[in-house]
Amino acid sequence: MKFKLCAGVALAALVFNGAIFSDKALAQDLVFAPGEDERLDWASFEAFADEHDFSGERLTIAGPWTGLDARLVESVLAYFAEATGAEVVYSGSDSFEQDIVISTQAGSAPNIAVFPQPGLAADMAAQGFLEPLGDETAEWVRENYSAGESWVELGSFAGPDGDEALYGFFYKVDVKSLVWYSPDQFFESGYDIPETMEELKALTEQIVADGGTPWCIGLGAGAATGWPATDWVEDLMLRLHEPEVYDGWVDNSVPFDDPRVIEAIEAYGWFARNDDFVAGGVEAVPTTDFRDSPAGLFSFPPGCYMHKQASFIPTFFPEGTEYGFDVDFFYFPAYEDRDLGNPVMGAGTLFAITEDSDAARGLMEFLKTPIAHEVWMAQQGFLTPYLEVNPEAYGDDALRAMGEILLDATTFRFDASDLMPGEIGAGAFWTGMVDYTTGDDAEDVARMIQDRWDAMR
Amino acid sequence: MDSIAGKKSRLTWAVNIAVVLLVILWLIPTIGLFVSSFRDRDQISQSGWWVAPLPVELTFRARVDPRDQREENGRFVIEGNVFDEPANAERFPEGQGEVVNFGIRGAAPAEFPVGAVAELRTGGTLSVARDGAFLVEAPDAFERRGPTIYFEARTPPQFTLRNYWTVLTADGMDRAFVNTLTVTIPATIIPILIAAFAAYALAWMRFPGRALLIAGIVGLLVVPLQLALVPLLRLHTSIGIGQSFMGIWLAHTGFGMPLAIYLLRNYMVGLPRDIIESARVDGATDFQVFTKIVLPLSFPALASFAIFQFLWTWNDLLVAKVFLPSGPDFQVMTVKIADDLIGSRGGDWGILAGAAFVSIGVPLVVFFTLQRYLVRGLLAGSVK
Amino acid sequence: MTPMLQGLLTIIVGVSACVGYFYAANLFLDKVLFPGHGPHAGRNINRANRIRPWIFLFPALFVLGLYLVYPVVGSFYRSLFDRSGAEFIGLGNYVALFNASDFRISVFNNLLWIVVVPASATFIGLIAAQLTDRLTWGNIAKSMIFMPMAISFVGASLIWKFVYANNPDIGLINALRFVFGAERSVDVIQIPFWNNFFLMMILIWIKTGFAMVILSAALRGIPEETIEAAIIDGANPWQVFFRIKVPQIMGTIVVVWTTITILVLKVFDIVYTMTGGNFGTEILPSYMMSYMFRDDGRATAVAFVIMILVLPVMIWNIVQARREVQ
Repeated sequence: MKFKLCAGVALAALVFNGAIFSDKALAQDLVFAPGEDERLDWASFEAFADEHDFSGERLTIAGPWTGLDARLVESVLAYFAEATGAEVVYSGSDSFEQDIVISTQAGSAPNIAVFPQPGLAADMAAQGFLEPLGDETAEWVRENYSAGESWVELGSFAGPDGDEALYGFFYKVDVKSLVWYSPDQFFESGYDIPETMEELKALTEQIVADGGTPWCIGLGAGAATGWPATDWVEDLMLRLHEPEVYDGWVDNSVPFDDPRVIEAIEAYGWFARNDDFVAGGVEAVPTTDFRDSPAGLFSFPPGCYMHKQASFIPTFFPEGTEYGFDVDFFYFPAYEDRDLGNPVMGAGTLFAITEDSDAARGLMEFLKTPIAHEVWMAQQGFLTPYLEVNPEAYGDDALRAMGEILLDATTFRFDASDLMPGEIGAGAFWTGMVDYTTGDDAEDVARMIQDRWDAMR
Repeated sequence: MDSIAGKKSRLTWAVNIAVVLLVILWLIPTIGLFVSSFRDRDQISQSGWWVAPLPVELTFRARVDPRDQREENGRFVIEGNVFDEPANAERFPEGQGEVVNFGIRGAAPAEFPVGAVAELRTGGTLSVARDGAFLVEAPDAFERRGPTIYFEARTPPQFTLRNYWTVLTADGMDRAFVNTLTVTIPATIIPILIAAFAAYALAWMRFPGRALLIAGIVGLLVVPLQLALVPLLRLHTSIGIGQSFMGIWLAHTGFGMPLAIYLLRNYMVGLPRDIIESARVDGATDFQVFTKIVLPLSFPALASFAIFQFLWTWNDLLVAKVFLPSGPDFQVMTVKIADDLIGSRGGDWGILAGAAFVSIGVPLVVFFTLQRYLVRGLLAGSVK
Repeated sequence: MTPMLQGLLTIIVGVSACVGYFYAANLFLDKVLFPGHGPHAGRNINRANRIRPWIFLFPALFVLGLYLVYPVVGSFYRSLFDRSGAEFIGLGNYVALFNASDFRISVFNNLLWIVVVPASATFIGLIAAQLTDRLTWGNIAKSMIFMPMAISFVGASLIWKFVYANNPDIGLINALRFVFGAERSVDVIQIPFWNNFFLMMILIWIKTGFAMVILSAALRGIPEETIEAAIIDGANPWQVFFRIKVPQIMGTIVVVWTTITILVLKVFDIVYTMTGGNFGTEILPSYMMSYMFRDDGRATAVAFVIMILVLPVMIWNIVQARREVQ
């Protein structure tokens, strides 16, 4: 009897728990009460809310953001839920690239997938797993995004029938060509911001001569280990050779084992394969998690003085880090003797519909409202090419400064590894860079990646 | 006689010591994780878990606010206490502590002992007392920013349950825990039932092809799981199960089946023949013999397979990644830790440790309570 | 419906469906198809008894066929086609694999795992079993050594990160090196070739308890008389152990060895979480993951190579089982 009672209670508890969980998604708090913060475009929010109603519908979204980033995107999605009454469930995974492929093949795809890489989205569009967004959306992007045509191009892929169409909507853009540093430490040690690559290399050596460690580099990222190194190589590629070489590299008309590519890999090696230049020695580079690697900037004595990483990295800085005081960034400079201007590399995440529904279309419409961008802007780590947003909404000066770097750019290129086919850009290139960092020959690594590319044909 | 006794006791000592060493060696990694699960992120990266009970000296920074300056005899003076710095409030909640050394440059944060007077780069002097009180004196007024003080303070050991709290609440681990249970329990019970009948048939019923079937099942024991993933997911998709709990239950049932039949059959074969024969003579059907006699007698084997299957499904990562959708509604704990926590909390070892212990807890309890059956059930299966 | 409820429902429905199937099938056989009374009672009972085993076996065989036999055949078939599955390329995938250097490394590493892990776990387990057997606190010691069995591979990888970490304030190995005067830390996960052994250590740590528990029970099963006779003949403890006891339990040792070998081939979690296959530690299951659902032809070919690697163990097992049945 007693046993039965216990079992009954346990059962009730489980059922009860289940009930709580299912309510959780709805109980998202809005970070800014509608109408309160004047920097945000509440009119667009209300207009959207008036036009759309998806009460009772459930919208599932899968993406690569976990942790704080996941909370930030959820804070934006909460407004969509508030406006339309839909239930929005976001799930982030470190192995998003694998998960989305498996789930689409199994027919249990989420409504919307957030691709960190156009390359993977292109693969999936070709297999017919993505829904075209329509000409209207393409037109909208063309008109409302700065350099709109290029964003349309980046988000357009050949479908299963071979016809090009817009499949991906860019939302949240990152500038990659940034070097983060601690102004306190630069000031105390009397270092100046380098204006050219030559100066940057001299500064690197200067810091070593002063007994410090110049760089923090971490390639660890679970299943995606190695990608931060691809950013280095791509940025250096843009600084060593004409943008046309870069474009050829992306579509493999310039093979991966071309001497010019190898030159860029070795230029990265100058920084990363020197025990004196990197915190923890070369050995620490491939295993240190990229989210941990900036920590050296904030310790005393400093673990390192500089950290090259994209604009999203402040999300992973210690709590209470203040831009301008504790941390600042400068543009990853170009070679003075190459005369290639100021190239800037960037990346972005694109939303695509993997399982069509009214709510999914509705979310795409929501992303066209300024409020969808401003809510994230007003917090942290968000850049957008959307022209209608209020720049005042940027949560900190860092983002404004990044905007200036974008404006000063003479060349803008999208992250090459993100454009390459998934097996290369989200596979062989990553592991190849880990192999190179741990001591393999640049030529061997490049040849192996090219072999894998050849094998795909 | 004495010498033999002496030798024997020496041998016993040697054995005791050897076992103690072995046990310590085997436990140390787990203890490390266990201790770390009660420490916070800073402490873990600043000192090893093996010195966790000792106080450690950590470096901090305090910014001097130029608004606090006042003019005294033509010099600008700022007084204050380094422990009042809001950035360090969490570590020094009472606003007091013990300074050991201090410095004026981040590169050398412990350059001067307490009580010493340091010359500031911008001109002027700084001194810090043991209780954290500092005094800045400078000939010129401070403009936008005051000097930065670095100091090394002795911090007492701290243990906290916050990691567990974070894991169990904020990160949706609770949901993952329930999901794991949802996967494991049916995936443990269903194969046992199916396998028990088959094992009985293979052990106590005579029919042509029996030996061949047994050989076949033993062969299937070693089929690598990976082989099945691609075709089965396609099969599930085509019959409409797709990625779901139903799919993973079936998959675990299939993958566990050979071991279940193998273990149970070996155990059932070893049951005393006369009990079963006499029941048959008394007119019991095979169905009755099975349910009334063989099944109750086979309890140790059933339990030992249940433990195996439970541990396997509980700890499984691969099958869950393929057969379950990736959303939070379906995420099990192993996936949660591998894909979400390790990533977003890359450096937060404390949280990771807490998460690991939450996932370890249930299997440990199951294991220790059912341990004796495990041995009995397995023995019949393998010692033969 | 909450998943937990769904789970409970599945248990109830599944269990009652199973029991119901067996019961109903039996009833149908005995009462309707071949009733054990009437004119042909004797013949009917014989016929029923010839069919009954298959009723008992059917669900198991169905599941086995669907979940294990079909994939083996289906995978092999799939591995003969190209990445899209449209074009038959014969053994092309296998040829391409064996030409890829990273694949050859994976095979080599996998063979290392197959040899080292079962051997070490069985050996340490045997020693531990013998040592703990005569101790008063032997059972406690055994529980401690067995405990890692209950820990998931992901959890175990976390645990071992606290041993292997490069940072001497986190990793135990590097802390010890510093105590003994080392100048700088090493990342044991990156030492070429030997890093494989550090990863294997984790699995050995997990599996030793399993070997120990089984072998200890086997040791207890040895008749006392043989041991006493040997001691009277003047054998020392070493001789008793290696010459008398070990040969007696050889059968059990081999079974333990085999069981662990099978498990080794299924493990991918440790490599996945510790190194992601980098630094030359790739093994076949993790290598397969990098192709799975991208190039299924290649992925199934890798799976089939794993299958071929276990083939000797499988054949040996079948031979054993057949001998036993006869």
